[in-house]
Amino acid sequence: MAHRIVGKPIGRVDGVEKVSGEARYSGDVSAPGLIWGKALRSPLPHARIVRIDTSRAKALSGVLAVLTAKDLPNILVGRRMFDMPVLARDRVRFIGEKVAVVAAADPDIAEEATTLIDVEYDDLPAVFDPEAAIVAGAPVVHENPEAYEGAPAERPHANVQSVLRFKLGDVEAGFREADRTFEHTLRTQLAHQGYLEPHAGVVAIDEDGRVQVWASNKMPFRLKELLSHALQLPQEKIRVNLTPIGGDFGGKGSLMDLPLAYHLARVTGRPVKMVMRYAEELMAGNPRHPAVITLRTGVSRDGRIVARSVRALFNSGAYAAFKPAPSVSLGGASMGAGVYRIPNLWIESFCVYTNNIPCGHARSPGEPQMVFAEESHMDMIAKELALDPAEFRRRNLLKDGDHLANGHHLEHVRASDTLEAALKASEYSQPKPGPWIGRGMAMTHRHIGVGFTNAVVRLGVDGRVTLRIALPDTGTGAHLVLRQVVAEVLGLAVDDVEIEMATTDDFATDSGVGGSRVTHTGGRAAYHAAEKLKAQIQAEASKLGVPGDSLAAVARAAAREGRTLEASHFYDAKAHGAVTSFTAQVAEVAVDAQTGQVTVRRFTTAHDVGTVINPLGHQGQIEGGLIQGLGFALMEEIKTEEGRISTLSLGDVKLPTIQDIPPLTTVILEDPVGPGPFNAKAIGEGSISSVAPAIANAVADACGVRILSLPITAEKVYFALKEAVREARLPTEEGRP
Amino acid sequence: MNRKIHLTVNGTARSVEIPTYRTLLDCLRNDLGLTGSKEGCGVGVCGACTVLLDGKMISSCIALAVSADGHAVTTVEGLAGDERLHPVQQAFIDAGGFQCGICTPGQVVSAKALLDAIPNPTDAEIREWMLGNLCRCTGYYKIIESIRTAAQRSRA
Repeated sequence: MAHRIVGKPIGRVDGVEKVSGEARYSGDVSAPGLIWGKALRSPLPHARIVRIDTSRAKALSGVLAVLTAKDLPNILVGRRMFDMPVLARDRVRFIGEKVAVVAAADPDIAEEATTLIDVEYDDLPAVFDPEAAIVAGAPVVHENPEAYEGAPAERPHANVQSVLRFKLGDVEAGFREADRTFEHTLRTQLAHQGYLEPHAGVVAIDEDGRVQVWASNKMPFRLKELLSHALQLPQEKIRVNLTPIGGDFGGKGSLMDLPLAYHLARVTGRPVKMVMRYAEELMAGNPRHPAVITLRTGVSRDGRIVARSVRALFNSGAYAAFKPAPSVSLGGASMGAGVYRIPNLWIESFCVYTNNIPCGHARSPGEPQMVFAEESHMDMIAKELALDPAEFRRRNLLKDGDHLANGHHLEHVRASDTLEAALKASEYSQPKPGPWIGRGMAMTHRHIGVGFTNAVVRLGVDGRVTLRIALPDTGTGAHLVLRQVVAEVLGLAVDDVEIEMATTDDFATDSGVGGSRVTHTGGRAAYHAAEKLKAQIQAEASKLGVPGDSLAAVARAAAREGRTLEASHFYDAKAHGAVTSFTAQVAEVAVDAQTGQVTVRRFTTAHDVGTVINPLGHQGQIEGGLIQGLGFALMEEIKTEEGRISTLSLGDVKLPTIQDIPPLTTVILEDPVGPGPFNAKAIGEGSISSVAPAIANAVADACGVRILSLPITAEKVYFALKEAVREARLPTEEGRP
Repeated sequence: MNRKIHLTVNGTARSVEIPTYRTLLDCLRNDLGLTGSKEGCGVGVCGACTVLLDGKMISSCIALAVSADGHAVTTVEGLAGDERLHPVQQAFIDAGGFQCGICTPGQVVSAKALLDAIPNPTDAEIREWMLGNLCRCTGYYKIIESIRTAAQRSRA
């Protein structure tokens, strides 16, 4: 179907504010009488709080309030499982946990005052490793986790937050059928989402007692509910005002400092701003869970997978509060099945309490971890079977009518097409340009998100249309996509459709941004609202005898009759047709034989997508996610020693820079079968997860060593090469190029 | 200890009394109300706070405001003319050079400085010059494209 506006690469017409510095993010919000809050954080991973003396801090000139847990209601907060105090009450469970908070006229004074609070602690035994945490006799992080609101019932050990399982067929019987069985254990690191806007918020209490909130939070309505719970206030007392968000990548859905900002505003009578420093983000944000994953796969003589069991341990840190899913787990564990038909499957995933930083959601939660393990495992099996990795995958790829690990049956499966497209575009079968150069592939798929969204469209007397939504702009370009959808339906130019940001006062609910849902749910809400408005316009035009092709004339004629043309739609997608989006990627790397340094020489990414609404924004999602995947593969890591983070600056965490990006080839396989508007699918989380295994597989191809843990640093490759030389599995120094 | 400083910000003379420990970034944002420049890392590695001091790029989060006394500061707010955006800003819009926009004030200030110094940069020169500006959204491809576009348009 040919569209007028959908499918056109339109630049960010919404971006003038962003390139000019006018956009007001939550950290830029000001208010008359604004003061600043800053939290004091625990220096110990597990300790009893014996005594807190705030007198010196209170005496500092410019300090307006100092609060500790005894000044606050005894409420635990969270997104699904409510296990985290707003301020530690009698015990701290990780380095970085908040124990007191200060308000001052100036941010520097607030920070100084935190250093004047004296806290006496009594050390408790701590546990940091998820394996060690779930053995008998391990130090217990929470005495009675089953008592927490939202806690899952199953608890094989006090330190287990949640257990998530996926099952197909009969795995025991499957393994009995297998001719050969392979088992590998792989590990992934603690990693921050890397958004460059640390969490920030402003809370002000109106004269009539309403709590006004500006926050870098992507789910305003859920935030209102969670604040209502945390602050013990009725929801209608709270208004969340939407601001642009300076990067989300899964990380901007928690309360963070907002309850503290409220309490400081309450006791001082002043609006309070709290902005986390990046060091606080790195010690107490809600980063990606590190994982230890063991996969065991049984294959038949002809290279078909007959059974697989997967055990994943996610090191969740000291609280479960940051995980939003009802399972209090990471759905990405289901990717233990990969993109393959596995008749007998058993996946068991544990989120484990330790005395580390509490982890949360990061772009494609759990998937980069699981896909790294699973796709590395696939290549290791292929090598043992002496099969080309592409051929081993071909024999096992999902097909129409197959089932995913979660039981979903699939249609429009383009796994094979996507793989072949990536292989072709990457010249995978061509001779490699030299020694110490390797190629590796990996695949994944990503569902299309569901949720519920409101849209209101209103025709102005100038013939332009306003689209009112309460979906925050996290930077994905979704607002532009929604404008394109409305413009397409109504026959307008994109410039004739404006976005008007609603607040939480304007709708009853909305699921906000996340899980690759916005083009689907927001797009469909906008689409149906625009269709309704179009029908209204036509009805008015014929009733009033005005030509229907002049929207301004219709609007003016209706206005003379006292009518405004406006339509709304609430789109609620609980589930959709069983379509997913496949990704296949090929990395070509060079390994420096002297240093172990890995250089990605070129990278190919192929995506099975629905109708592309804005190719510029679509490609931006692919590229951005892919480079996050590259950072996860090669460089990013928050390092911890006994719960203490040793990389407390963004300089140490090593996000990719403009010098780190490889030449990129993108292949788009457009297949208009998605549930989104104009049959769009989703793209935001499609490119991140298979980058690391593609690179790991390429490194193995280049130099014969298999790196089983991320990131794949030069140091790891160097020592693995030395080890391989020692075992004489490799050419000696002389045999090297 | 407070001190009164005099500086030219985006062409306008400003005077402000501030504690001597205040960073230039906090001074611009909180004392002068110019919130375009952002604090990301706070330690001078991400580039979100990049401003020009007498035409040279600096990280304003690790510069003291008093060090700008008597100097000229250009922030993102000072790039556009009265009627139109700076060509670099327009190119970032047209070529998709930003997503969330939090790093964008620093990116466009650095890119403007680049094109002032090297009107027709190669890709290698773009990558070298822009190394100090992190972006987590775009993967940088479209930032490079934006700067190429701005350079091409200036030649036309």
